Amino acid sequence: MAEEFNTQGMLDIYLFENRQLLEKLQEIVLEQKDEECFDEESINEIFRTMHTIKGSSGVMMFDEITKLSHKLEDVFYYLRESKPQNVPHMELVEYVLKVSDFINAEMDKIQDGEAADGVAGELVDDIDRFLTSIKNGDGEKEKDIKENVHEEPQQFYIAPMATSASRFFKIYVTFNPDVPLANVHAYKIIYSMKEIAEDLLHYPEDIISDESSADEILENGFKILLQAQCSEQDLRGIIQEGYDIKKVEIYECNAKEFQQGFDSFGTEIRIDLESSVEEIEAKADVAEAAKLKEEAAKKEIAPGDFVIESKEPGKGKKLAKDKSKKQEKAAFISVDVQKMDMLMDLIGELVISESVVLQNSDLKVPGLKLDNFNKAAVQMTKISTDLQNVIMSMRMMPLTNTFQKMNRIVFDVSRKLGKDIEFEMSGEYTEVDKNIIEHISDPLMHLVRNAVDHGIETEEERIAQGKTEKGKVTLWAKTESGKVWIGVQDNGKGLDREKILAKARKQGLLDSAKEESDYTDKEVYQFITLPGFSTNEKVTEYSGRGVGMDVVVSNLQSIGGSLEIESTPGQGSLMLLKIPLTLAIIDGIIMGVGKSYFVLETGAVKEFVSIRENRLIQQPNGREFVMIRGEGYPVLRIGEWYKLHDYKADVEEGMLVLVEAEKKTICLFVDRLIGNQEIVVKPIPDYIKKVKGLTGCTQLGDGSIALILDVAGLVE
Amino acid sequence: MSELVTQHNKYVTFKSGNEYFALKIEYVNEIIVFQEITEIPESEDYIKGLINLRGKIIPVIDVRVRFKQPELAYNDRTCIIVINVKDMVVGLIVEKVAEVVEITEDNILDSPSLGNVDKNQNKYVYAIGKVGENVKLLLDPEKLIKDEDWSVLEQMTEEITEEGE
Repeated sequence: MAEEFNTQGMLDIYLFENRQLLEKLQEIVLEQKDEECFDEESINEIFRTMHTIKGSSGVMMFDEITKLSHKLEDVFYYLRESKPQNVPHMELVEYVLKVSDFINAEMDKIQDGEAADGVAGELVDDIDRFLTSIKNGDGEKEKDIKENVHEEPQQFYIAPMATSASRFFKIYVTFNPDVPLANVHAYKIIYSMKEIAEDLLHYPEDIISDESSADEILENGFKILLQAQCSEQDLRGIIQEGYDIKKVEIYECNAKEFQQGFDSFGTEIRIDLESSVEEIEAKADVAEAAKLKEEAAKKEIAPGDFVIESKEPGKGKKLAKDKSKKQEKAAFISVDVQKMDMLMDLIGELVISESVVLQNSDLKVPGLKLDNFNKAAVQMTKISTDLQNVIMSMRMMPLTNTFQKMNRIVFDVSRKLGKDIEFEMSGEYTEVDKNIIEHISDPLMHLVRNAVDHGIETEEERIAQGKTEKGKVTLWAKTESGKVWIGVQDNGKGLDREKILAKARKQGLLDSAKEESDYTDKEVYQFITLPGFSTNEKVTEYSGRGVGMDVVVSNLQSIGGSLEIESTPGQGSLMLLKIPLTLAIIDGIIMGVGKSYFVLETGAVKEFVSIRENRLIQQPNGREFVMIRGEGYPVLRIGEWYKLHDYKADVEEGMLVLVEAEKKTICLFVDRLIGNQEIVVKPIPDYIKKVKGLTGCTQLGDGSIALILDVAGLVE
Repeated sequence: MSELVTQHNKYVTFKSGNEYFALKIEYVNEIIVFQEITEIPESEDYIKGLINLRGKIIPVIDVRVRFKQPELAYNDRTCIIVINVKDMVVGLIVEKVAEVVEITEDNILDSPSLGNVDKNQNKYVYAIGKVGENVKLLLDPEKLIKDEDWSVLEQMTEEITEEGE
C-alpha cells in the first residue's frame, strides 16, 4: 500500500461501507436461502454489491478481496445475463456466505492494523469450478454469453410464446404538440399496459433516459405493438384521449404482422425518409429481434435483457417467491459519538436553565400576572422534554443486525448437523441502547445454538414422535414494562426435568431437606444455568460442554438483565431474556441525607421501613442490627458512614431502606426519601479517588448533584 | 495562532490570604460565580466536592485550604476558576479574582528559596512576577491540583486495578 499517503480516512470509509454492503448481502442471501433460486432483484443486488466491493478494494489495493469479489461478480453476471436453470441454490448460497466471511475476516485484520494476508485462491478456484459447472449444466447456450466486460449490455428483444387467445394490436398515439415531457407521458401508457401485456414493443425504445425521445414522440407519434388477451375496447379504456393525448389509433393485426414489427405500420405511419441513423438501426434491431424470436421459439429461453418482463408462466425460470413488501429503508448518517454526548450534555444544561428561569425568584412578586408567561412556559417544557426523548432515542439501535447474525448461525449449525430447521424472527426492529446490543450478542448466540443443537430433535426422532411440522426456531423481541424481552423459542423436545434433577443430584446441588417433587419446574430449569452443568451426553462442535448457560446468565446479569426458562416436554422450550433498554439511564430512588442526595437503583431496593427505636439492637462492637419480621439485618447509617453533616441520628425520624445485592440484604438508614426519577448516570471525575460504595453521580432536576450508591459495594 | 499571541504572557491573578497569585491564562477555561457544592465523602479536606458546570460534573478544590490558610466563609466575591490541566477540568475556589495582567519574561524572577513566602505555598509557586510595584506569585497548576505523592498514588491504583483484573 502506498505508505506515503495518509489512507486512514479512506480506509475507515472503505471498511464502513463494505461492512454495510456485506450485511445487506447476507440479509438478502439468508432471506432467500430456502427458495429455489434467487429472484432477479437479488441477483442484481448481489452483483452490484460485489461490483462495488471489487471497485473499492481495487482502489485500496486489497488484491485478494478484489480477486474474490470479481469472481463472485462473474457468477452473478452469468446468472443475470443468461438466467440458467437448475443452479444448485444451496451451493451458491454457501459460496456467497463464504465470500462474505472471507472479506469480513480480511476487513477485521485491516481494522486491527494488520496486513490483509488471507489468500482467497482456493475459494476463487472453487467458485470458478462452480461457475463452469452451471455453465455446462445450462447447455450450448453458453456460447451466447458475452464475457463479463464492462460495456453497456445490449438489449435483445425476445418475445415470449403466443397463446391462442392472444390478440395483436398496433397502437398509434399522437400527443398534443405542446405537451412537455412527452416521453414521460408515453412511459405512463406503457406502464399502464404492463398489467395486461403479454408482449409489448414500443418505438422510440428508450423513452426513460433519453430525453430527446420526447421530441421524436411529438413529431412522429408514439408507436406500440401489443400482444394481449383483451379487446380494443379495453385498450381504449387504458389509453384515453385527454389533454395530453390528441389521438389514439388502435388496429388489430395478426401474429405475422406483429412479428414484422414497426415496418408493417404501413400507410398510417409515415416514417420520414430522412429518418435518423438511430431509426434505421432500430428497424434493423427489430428485424433482428424477430429473427431471434424464431430461434427463441425453439429454445426454452435465450439470453438478453427483456425490455419488458414476460408474464408468461412457466417460461422463464421460477422466480423466488415475491418477498412481502420490503420495509421502507431508512436513511442513515454516521455521527461522532462525542458529538452526541455533547448534545446530550447541552440538553441537560437546557433543562436546568429552564428550571432556573421558570422558578426564578423574580417571578414570585405578589400580584404579578403570569398567565401568558405560564402558557409559554408549558410549551417550552414540552419541547425540551421532546428534545430529551429524541436524543435518548438517537442512542438506540434496532436489533436487526443481531437477529440477522442469529439467522446465519441457525443456517450454519443446522446444515452441519443435518437438521432441517426453519428460522423465524419478529420484532427485530425493537430498539435497544447500543451498549446493550454489544452485550447480548454472545448470550443470544449461545441460546440459539442450544436451541438448534439440543432443542430440536433429529428428523428420525421427530418422525418417531409423530411430529409432522418442521423443526423451527423463533427469535422474537418486544418492549414490555420498560424492558426489552427477547425470546428464543423452539418446537423441539423441551427440557427433561428428570434428567436435570438426576444430574443435580449427582453434583450434590439438591437440598437434602427438600423433596425432589417439591422443586418447581422453574427451580429445576434454573439448574442448567449453573457452571459445569450440561445434560447433553454428546459433546458436539457447538454445545454440550457445560459452559455456556452460566456465561449467558452472568453476561446478562452484568447489564442488569435476567433469563427465564419455560419448557413443555415434547413441545419445546422458551428462553426469555429480559434486559433493560439502556445502561446510561437507570430508574433510581433519590434519598436525602443531611444536605447530600443519594440515588439507589430501584431494582436493588426491596422495601422501605419506618421502625421504633426498640427494634434496633446494638452490638457491643458498635454494630447495629434491626429486627424486621423475625429476621435480623445489619444497619448502615449513611450519614455516619460518609461522615456527613447535619444528618439525623434518631432512627424514628429517618427511614430504613432494605437493599439486596448478591443475595445479601442490608438496611441503609437515610434521613428522608425524595422520590423516584430516571437518572442519567455520569462517572465521578477521575480527579477524585474512588470512594467505596459510590458508582457515579448524576444531576437532579434542580441542577444539584446526587451520588449513586453501589449496593454491591456497600454490602461488602 | 492569533489566540496564542494574545494569550502570550497573560496571567489571571487572584487573591488568597494576603498574597496575589497568578495563573497562566492558557490553563484557565472560565471564571464562574460560586455555586452550591455537593460533598464527596472520604476525600481530601481541600477537595470540596462536585459542582455541576452546565451538565458537566467537575471537582472543586479550595485554594485557601490547599495553602493551609484558615478557611473563610464563602461570600458573593468568592469565585471558581475553572482550569484545564492535561485534560483534567478542576475548579479552584478563590476569595477574589483580581485582574488579567501581562508579565513579560524579563519581569519574572526565580522563586526565592528563602523569604517571607509561606513554606506550604512555596512548592506550588515556581516563580515570581513583577507588575509595577506589586509582586505576583506564579502558580504551577499541575502541582496545585495534584497530591504531593500523586505519582505514588497513581502507581498504587494501577497496581490495584491490575490485581483486580
